[in-house]
Amino acid sequence: MKLVFPILPLSCFALTLASCTGGDSEGFKVPVEYFKLKNGLKVVLSPDHTAPIVSVAVYYNIGFRIEPRGRTGFAHLFEHMMFQGSQNLGKMEFIKLVQKNGGVLNGSTRFDFTNYFQIVPAHKLETILWAEADRMRGLDITQDNLTNQQAVVKNEVKVNVLNQPYGGFPWLDMPQYANTNWYNAHNFYGDLAELDAATLDDVTAFFKTYYAPNNAALVVVGDFDPAEAREIVSRYFEDLPPSDLPSTPDISEARQETSKRFSKDDSLANKPAFAIAYHMPPRNSPEYYAMGLIDQFLLQGDDSMLRQTLVQERGYTSAVDGGINLLGNMFNYNGPMLWIAYLFHDQATPADTLKEAIESDIEKLRTDLVDDETIDRARVKFRSTFYDQLNSFFGFGRADLLASLALFDDDPEKINQIDDMIRRVTPELIKSTAQEYLRPTNQTVLVLNPTKVMSKEEPKYAN
Amino acid sequence: MQTKNSLLLIGIVMIMTTESFTQKQSPPEGSKPKDFVLPPKTTLTLENGLHATLVPYGSLPKVTLRAVIRMGNINEAADEVWLSDLVGDFLEEGTLTRTSKQLAEEAARMGGEIGVSVGDDQMSVTGSVLSEFGPAMVTLIADVIRNPAFPESELDRLKNDRIRDLSIQKADPNAITNERFRSLLYPDHPYGRVFPPEELLRGYTIQQVRNFYAGNAGGARTHMYVAGKFDAPRIEEAIRTSFGGWERGVEPLVNIPKPRSTREIHIIDRPGAPQSTVYIGLPTINPGDNDYRRLLVMNALLGGSFMSRITSNIREDKGYTYSPGSSVSARYRDAYWVQFASITTDVTGPALKEIFFEIDRLQSEPPTTEELQGIQNYIAGIFVLQNSSPSGIINLLSFNNLHGLPETYLTEYVKTIYAVTPEEVRQLAARHIREEEMQIVIAGDKKKIEKQVAQFGRVLP
Repeated sequence: MKLVFPILPLSCFALTLASCTGGDSEGFKVPVEYFKLKNGLKVVLSPDHTAPIVSVAVYYNIGFRIEPRGRTGFAHLFEHMMFQGSQNLGKMEFIKLVQKNGGVLNGSTRFDFTNYFQIVPAHKLETILWAEADRMRGLDITQDNLTNQQAVVKNEVKVNVLNQPYGGFPWLDMPQYANTNWYNAHNFYGDLAELDAATLDDVTAFFKTYYAPNNAALVVVGDFDPAEAREIVSRYFEDLPPSDLPSTPDISEARQETSKRFSKDDSLANKPAFAIAYHMPPRNSPEYYAMGLIDQFLLQGDDSMLRQTLVQERGYTSAVDGGINLLGNMFNYNGPMLWIAYLFHDQATPADTLKEAIESDIEKLRTDLVDDETIDRARVKFRSTFYDQLNSFFGFGRADLLASLALFDDDPEKINQIDDMIRRVTPELIKSTAQEYLRPTNQTVLVLNPTKVMSKEEPKYAN
Repeated sequence: MQTKNSLLLIGIVMIMTTESFTQKQSPPEGSKPKDFVLPPKTTLTLENGLHATLVPYGSLPKVTLRAVIRMGNINEAADEVWLSDLVGDFLEEGTLTRTSKQLAEEAARMGGEIGVSVGDDQMSVTGSVLSEFGPAMVTLIADVIRNPAFPESELDRLKNDRIRDLSIQKADPNAITNERFRSLLYPDHPYGRVFPPEELLRGYTIQQVRNFYAGNAGGARTHMYVAGKFDAPRIEEAIRTSFGGWERGVEPLVNIPKPRSTREIHIIDRPGAPQSTVYIGLPTINPGDNDYRRLLVMNALLGGSFMSRITSNIREDKGYTYSPGSSVSARYRDAYWVQFASITTDVTGPALKEIFFEIDRLQSEPPTTEELQGIQNYIAGIFVLQNSSPSGIINLLSFNNLHGLPETYLTEYVKTIYAVTPEEVRQLAARHIREEEMQIVIAGDKKKIEKQVAQFGRVLP
């Protein structure tokens, strides 16, 4: 009936309008107020009065990449210790303080930072800033607390890796195969024996070394008054002493010169899986932004090349996943990084067939210039996804970006320049970036070989 | 034993602070609470029964659009398990005028994609796009819903994808524990048919797919939600134009289950498993019951929050597990309560003991006012967070609509939470967490756990 008319015309109209006027989604600016305390603590304030909530995030410039040798998994185990007691808040008291005030909290350990964050009703901002300052001042932890969290973390490794089909594939595995420098290539969830070996002395030393105001960024996002927040932050954090930070180890990766291929048996899995990785261009280089768009061409969204080829056309899999930094996004790391694509498939499809299909799509980017329509589409997807990141988890996503840009670049204002950096990427740059960074000799393939034997429980479903 | 240890160790506590003997400070209270009001919304109803709800929210130039259709696994006969999921897959395979690739590219030009998700009671078709493309995305979603092509050429591929995913899920300890738990609670109902036999999946025809969709789609079953930043008159116009001529279809199917549970233990053997994946639960009251919101308070205190009693005990005190939790899982006029945990194999029995200990304790003595208030503040705070994102707002509204709840369910939510008394919490635990009916399912190393768990119920052979 009436349905035939609107479909094409309406969407064309909207598209035309957007490309003519530039669209009203461009030019969105994140408010950023940035300053440093005398002890070196970086502080970013970004008000948003949409809802009566605030996100508080503290990022320490210590990730699992540079944790001590012989103590794999320690940066993450230490993250758990930050919830076990400080001078004024005993075990469980930090958690209860946040939750009984109507908030949520978490912490996470990543390549180059460990973060702690809370989202609470706006009027509890001071309460939370006080609590974060309290645990930045010092911990108060017993052997019982450490033993308890060693058990909890070992259970975490079991539930996410050891007792899970495809556990660790490829997010935990691939960096260990693709990288050569120990800092980038060790098991950062931790060997269970090395987790067990951790002592209270290790905890003390780690805290003293890395958990200091001059090695951290504090971000507040949400419904607050910046002047008031600045005063509260100064009151609680100003007198914390800075520490002498150790020099940064060499975390660089040598240019990869030959393609690599590994396989891994998984006794819990019954279908094979395939992952392919390439080392990223250095962060903040023009090529890095080009990779941001290449990721959109190849992998992000239903229209992406690899989805169209591997899912729609060839039916090898139901989805292709991956991207830049599987444990975050293209902004929240500070060192060598991988772009990874991975999928689950049938025994009938050999890994070589998958590799050839992926390489054939990649090869198009290495030989042809991308047309304008494709670039425009990728830019729009990039911007839309970027806004989603800002919005994610009630403003925490915005805090995460601001903290990363403060911690790694000393420039949180950069959050408003990213769209422009992406716009500057040209077809020629895309091609040269693909030629250098998506070359076969920069590639690591990981094949997961399933060895699960169907148990007695399952024959009723078998063929 | 644990307590004794910590007492002994007090003498050698490691103090990492410089001022170790100063009086402990209390956290500052903060300022006065700000007012929270539910985001305002407008609703409209078309002649064919389709409802739409528009909620302007936030400052970011993005809008989330979701059409929710009352169609899902509930509409499947016993020999149609996952047929609705296959129908959902097909919705992304193009319309009468657009191929799947055209659909994907058009959505991408708006900064989004069409996402279809199929659940027990509802199917949803979602697009989240840059604000200026809101009306165009309405049109695209309408085309997907009204004019699906169901190309037979894609049938074998989509079935094969489902067969592979089924096989992968059946290797997942959580998925198989959930499947067994559901099949025990709902022996003769779609909610209990979590996995299809592979041969069944393999046999589905394009005609079954088409018939299933045609028999269940229509304006009367559909609700369009729009939340975020958008041009309201243009969105409204797009909804009226693109959904206006659609047929009404049949009213939603009502098929309320009669769940059952028995105090017995089912073990799914996973030889060598380092952890036991445990589900302990039973049917409970559903959102249509006046006590449902009160039950959520009891649940958050017992096992449903980080500071809850069970989590404090088996994680933060004993270290038996990493991510335990309890929840109330609701479907139309139906719900169950479940405590789940992945527990290190050799402490499976001790962990169950602590879980039942905490249930017993809450059933026999009311919590303190202070403990309860903390939980009430937590739930009230979470409610504000649930109303603080476009997708969160849509989730709450569609929950309300599915369960046929009055406006007051949301507007008086916080008030209702705060009205619960400690004695009511005790009574709710006693009335609804009946240990004698607790169904226990464990995926784990049978040889190692069978004896450990025998004291908690008959272990089925």
